[in-house]
Amino acid sequence: MLTEAKKNIKLIGMYFKFNLYSSMEYRASFIIQVLGMIINNGSFIFFWWILFENVESIGGYGFKDVMMLWAISSTAFGLSHVIFGNVRRITEIIMTGELDSYLLQPKDVLVNLISSRTIISAWGDMFYGIILFIGVNGLNISDFMLFLLFNCTAALFFTSILVIANSLTFFIGNAEGIAGLISEFMITFSIYPEGIYKGIAKLVIYSVVPAAFVSLIPVRIINNFSIKWLLILFVFVILWSVFAYWFFYRGLKKYESGNLIVNKL
Amino acid sequence: MNIINVKNLKKNFKVKTKKAGLKGSIQSIFNPTYREVKAVNDISFEVEKGEILAFIGPNGAGKSTTIKMLTGILHPTSGDIDVIGLIPAKNRKELSYKIGTVFGQKSQLWFHLPPLDSFHLLGKIYELSDSYVEKRIAYLTELFEIKELLEIPIRKLSLGQRIRCEIAASLLHNPEIIFLDEPTIGLDVVVKQKIRDLIKKLNKEEKSTIFLTSHDAGDIEQLCKRAIIINHGEIVLNETVKNLKYNYMNKKVIDIKYNEAVNINIPDVTILKSKGYAVKVEIDSSVCDIDEIITELIKLGKVADITISDPPLEEIISNIYQQKSIGGDRVEEDS
Repeated sequence: MLTEAKKNIKLIGMYFKFNLYSSMEYRASFIIQVLGMIINNGSFIFFWWILFENVESIGGYGFKDVMMLWAISSTAFGLSHVIFGNVRRITEIIMTGELDSYLLQPKDVLVNLISSRTIISAWGDMFYGIILFIGVNGLNISDFMLFLLFNCTAALFFTSILVIANSLTFFIGNAEGIAGLISEFMITFSIYPEGIYKGIAKLVIYSVVPAAFVSLIPVRIINNFSIKWLLILFVFVILWSVFAYWFFYRGLKKYESGNLIVNKL
Repeated sequence: MNIINVKNLKKNFKVKTKKAGLKGSIQSIFNPTYREVKAVNDISFEVEKGEILAFIGPNGAGKSTTIKMLTGILHPTSGDIDVIGLIPAKNRKELSYKIGTVFGQKSQLWFHLPPLDSFHLLGKIYELSDSYVEKRIAYLTELFEIKELLEIPIRKLSLGQRIRCEIAASLLHNPEIIFLDEPTIGLDVVVKQKIRDLIKKLNKEEKSTIFLTSHDAGDIEQLCKRAIIINHGEIVLNETVKNLKYNYMNKKVIDIKYNEAVNINIPDVTILKSKGYAVKVEIDSSVCDIDEIITELIKLGKVADITISDPPLEEIISNIYQQKSIGGDRVEEDS
């Protein structure tokens, strides 16, 4: 089990290096995409800034808190797509039969599949979040360490949810729409103040669409450290990751392959 | 020694059926109907170590499905498979170190990267040492004559160049068995021949067992000692290529060029073509004596040139399909 985990981490690291190197091949494109994403995300700062000029707080959150939500969601989203760039294409890979080539290699299918590609613009999301966090929170080492930790857990949440949603393809045919929808939900729910969610919505973000664990709980912990919530967060991230892994392999047994003429991109 | 053992292998696919039009679509949401398609239906065969075996059949016969089960991509519905002592569906990872697979219609190389990068990446995936990868790349580059292609992105290569790189890539980890699914599909005659020569060389030099699917009779004729013909998921014929020709080749084609105009009127001789002084006839050696016929043909006039040949394997195979009353596509999801 441990050697298996080590092997997988090694594989992720290898793809990371390889992908980074090949994205650098097109340097201009890389820089444009990264900067473009930073500017794109940055425009939302003005929206919130103007809003908070007029109101004191929203659902108990001030400007700085909302920006921290943004910082974590953005960096975590970026991180998950930089490392596991193929996570959004799982449905397509299953449907076209491209999965065959991963099944022929002596590696863990899921890890091999999702980490074999990177999304260049996701680097922009990642940098943006880091800059934003330091911008609103200053350079406090312990806060920043927590920020990095929560980025990792949140990235695992994003990845797990996308793996689960896309793996539905094994069972129902084409889950691209559902996966897109769930991904939107995750992002939307993790960048607004918690106070605005009541009743069922609150239940949802703490369970099936675990957006609360992506950014809401982490910001609460950064502002007001609580070991209890930290542990709850860890338990949840492990549960979701294990479930996602299991669910993918459950579906893989139903895989029927395909014969489309495809290229590996 | 057998390297592949397959016993009573079956694979069924559940296919959702839908009536045409909107009404059918709505119906299939509330009351979906399924049809079971037997892509592979109870086949058994063995492959010997070091053999080149052809697995042939028309589109939709179950060739790819069988290869996919042998390589661990698909789980069989029932039956036993043993490849190098491993069960593909259970020991997928272990098996993948020992086999190499090329799907003619599916690229396994990274589209935007030059082959050299892909080779190095594959070396890492197969956990090969750097020095070994270098050695292998040098060897395969020479064997496949791809030195000048190594640094060009795959997307810029022609199909023939790409398939050579694909096969080279699948051999990087020195597999014991090579599965080739329609390796010559879409290639021109010259490249086809090149690929065939390579496969022959591989079998000789590396002692690899080669399992080849194709519907190109030339592949089989030139490469294989034995062929398994499959259709509708069932084995129709499992014979040596020599026997195949002998048993199904009672027809001979004779081309004769006379120096003068002749009028052929011999029973049991079918005239295929007649142009000027040249005639092409076909005879069935099971109903008449070749010796006699040739004597009579020569008697007709002064002969400038004569050739006697076997009909191409292609014809033989298509005869077998017809004799066994089998056609093409029944299983649509597989070709």
